[in-house]
Amino acid sequence: MKGIAKWLHERNLFPYALLVPVLIFFIVWNILPLLWMVGLSFYKYDITTGEPLKFLGMDNYQAIFRDHGIWQALSKTFLFVILAVGLETILGMALGFLFWGSSKMPGRRLALTLLFSPMILTPVAAGTFFRLIYDPVFGIANYYLEAWFGLKINFLGDVKWAYPAVLMVDIWMWTPFMILMTLAALGSVPKAELEAAQVDRLPWIRRLWHIVLPHGKFILMLGILLRTIDAFKTMDLIYTMTSGGPGNATELIAISLFRKAFEAFTMGNASALAIISLLIAIAFTSIYLYILNYKERRA
Amino acid sequence: MKSRSLSVILTLVLLLTMILSACSGNKSNNDSSSTSSSSSGSTASSGSSAASSGGEGGSSSLAGKKIEMSILGIGGWVPSQLSVEMSPAFAEYAKEKYGYDVTFTFEEAPFSSLFQKAAASLSTKSQEFNIIISDSQWLGAFAEPGWIVSVNEIMQQEPELANIEWFDPVVQKAYMTYPDGTDQLWGFPQEGDVLVLYVRKDMLSDPTEQANFKAKYGFDLPQTFEDFEQLTIDKFLKMAEFFTRPEQDLYGTAVQYSKEYDYFTGSFYPHIWSSGGEIWDPVSGDVYGVLNTENNAKALETFVSIRNYMPPGAENYGIAQVTEAFTQGKLFSAYHWAAVGAAMITPELQDKVMVVPIPGYEVNGEIKRISSIGGQPWVINKFNDEDHMRVAIDFLKWWYLPETQLEFAKRGGNPTTKAALESPDFDSIQPWFRAYRYSLTESRARDFWHHPKYSELLSIQQEEFTSYLTGGRSSAAETLEVIACKQQQIMYDAGTTKNAPPAACANIR
Repeated sequence: MKGIAKWLHERNLFPYALLVPVLIFFIVWNILPLLWMVGLSFYKYDITTGEPLKFLGMDNYQAIFRDHGIWQALSKTFLFVILAVGLETILGMALGFLFWGSSKMPGRRLALTLLFSPMILTPVAAGTFFRLIYDPVFGIANYYLEAWFGLKINFLGDVKWAYPAVLMVDIWMWTPFMILMTLAALGSVPKAELEAAQVDRLPWIRRLWHIVLPHGKFILMLGILLRTIDAFKTMDLIYTMTSGGPGNATELIAISLFRKAFEAFTMGNASALAIISLLIAIAFTSIYLYILNYKERRA
Repeated sequence: MKSRSLSVILTLVLLLTMILSACSGNKSNNDSSSTSSSSSGSTASSGSSAASSGGEGGSSSLAGKKIEMSILGIGGWVPSQLSVEMSPAFAEYAKEKYGYDVTFTFEEAPFSSLFQKAAASLSTKSQEFNIIISDSQWLGAFAEPGWIVSVNEIMQQEPELANIEWFDPVVQKAYMTYPDGTDQLWGFPQEGDVLVLYVRKDMLSDPTEQANFKAKYGFDLPQTFEDFEQLTIDKFLKMAEFFTRPEQDLYGTAVQYSKEYDYFTGSFYPHIWSSGGEIWDPVSGDVYGVLNTENNAKALETFVSIRNYMPPGAENYGIAQVTEAFTQGKLFSAYHWAAVGAAMITPELQDKVMVVPIPGYEVNGEIKRISSIGGQPWVINKFNDEDHMRVAIDFLKWWYLPETQLEFAKRGGNPTTKAALESPDFDSIQPWFRAYRYSLTESRARDFWHHPKYSELLSIQQEEFTSYLTGGRSSAAETLEVIACKQQQIMYDAGTTKNAPPAACANIR
């Protein structure tokens, strides 16, 4: 054993050897299934018929590009990502700054703990709660709407309301994450610079722009990036509340994918859609990284 | 730089090789499963083989053994759970008759994901689930890949099972047969079920309501089962309108409009069939021209108009929501499955509910009603070893004993044997049994889509139906046209029909 370690050391291979277990895990559980899925996306594969695989070339991809429903789902998803991540970032940063500047507030810890609790819930549980809260017959939301404003809204059954209703649940659930990222970003700002700004009586907006953001932007952008990818993949939260309905009102791309794979069992077609979704997620990541490194590249 | 380019090329070659090997590996796997599928078309050539474990001799060889059986059933569905609740009785029976000890575990999945759970296990040739309570429409999807045992094969070895008399030929057609119209059997009925109408008897019998209704609509509120046999959809909708009183938090009726699984479809199809329409032509395999008709469009409009008499949020109503609204006293009536009778008639509603056949449609001067078949068959895992196969068969033989079927009925299950349904007191065992027995005949109930492409066909129509319901499609005719085009394409691709969708289908969105 000692001999192997020595041999690895002599050839500067020890760091690579330490990576091997993780790489094996990564290859077996990520890369191989991904490659399998890429392969499958060129075939007709329906597990309910028992028919042999049939090579289709690009047919599955062409079918997806021709599918009006997929384009609708994609546009709904992009809108969902923009609205959810945008509002979560604004609210998260505002609340993050509020908590950062109120370190002596009584009950701060309890308030923070309570504020973070939605993020800890599983999406299925949160979806189930809200399905009941939104219920037009016995839901508490309608109870108070009726009591206070004489209104009854069919949040999840009305095409006009369903989309904003599920969006609101996502914002409720994930704003705490952006608060957390904001607090982490603020924590990364050197105290000396902040104190200097205070001594110079720099207005808060300039303090934010010139001191906080340059130091904390990486963490904030990372938070936005993670939320963007996550919002793009949103499925379980909405599926529990509406199954993508009423009609197609809340059918995001991940729900379409689920329905193709596990309701219609058209695995080849679903694999092609999964690959397209993956490419979109990669594009998102690249755009973020480009923006993040823009200044450094110019310098 | 050179070595970097080389490593990039090598990586690409490696990736390509892996993709190709993944695909070719997949193909060979599937080829082999298809071979077993075709052989399973005529015989149950399982590893253990139903035939080899057949006969009483097989059971006696298990004497002294301890067997653990696993049943996969539908989560939260009383009839599925009853089979496991009753299993200790089988354990006693098996110990006494065959001398072996058996215990049962119950795995469950909701309707919408039961096939997914079963398929994931069966495709690996696992005997994780020895017996599966499937939905009837999945028979083809289980049979084609060769995952379940052919019942014909079992029957050759087990005269007790072969000689069971079913209440009506529709039982064999719905729960046992695939493909439709053949003698190839793949399942045994576990729970029979049809769509029935639950009605608040106490509201119907109220003299003030009776008088007010007569004054408004000019005919009497039906009072008896026989009165409901004569009830048409037009008259029923008037009743639903009469009892819709949002200010009292009371609504006329409820149906299932949910996009989930087959909820919309199962509730809507009776309106097509009862009005004289069809959903496809099983002989030619065509959907286009059969589904997209004026008659069916009108039936869809009628079905969607029922929403006017339902509580807010009707668009998301599935099994649970209808049950909940009814048991909370918010509904005068509800279209629902006979299988949920025990949940619908709570102790508070015990003497206030009557269960009757669904309203009919007047066709050529006669009242026609065809309900949807619900319920589930048992199917047996083809990959069971000999011991588990033997116990599965013994279990089914016990299940169809008259006393077991009677006990199942008393606990709230819907039996399907002639002996049980024709027993003198059958109608009085449960409040819904008379309507169930009345409807469970070939002329009054139908199942749909015993086709391996069921999941794809269903997914399309659930999406389009609910899209029409919520304004995504402008008319019933357009909705049916879109569904017919897409389903015709599926049937054409599957080789079920020789007719490709017409040129007009190229423009559908």
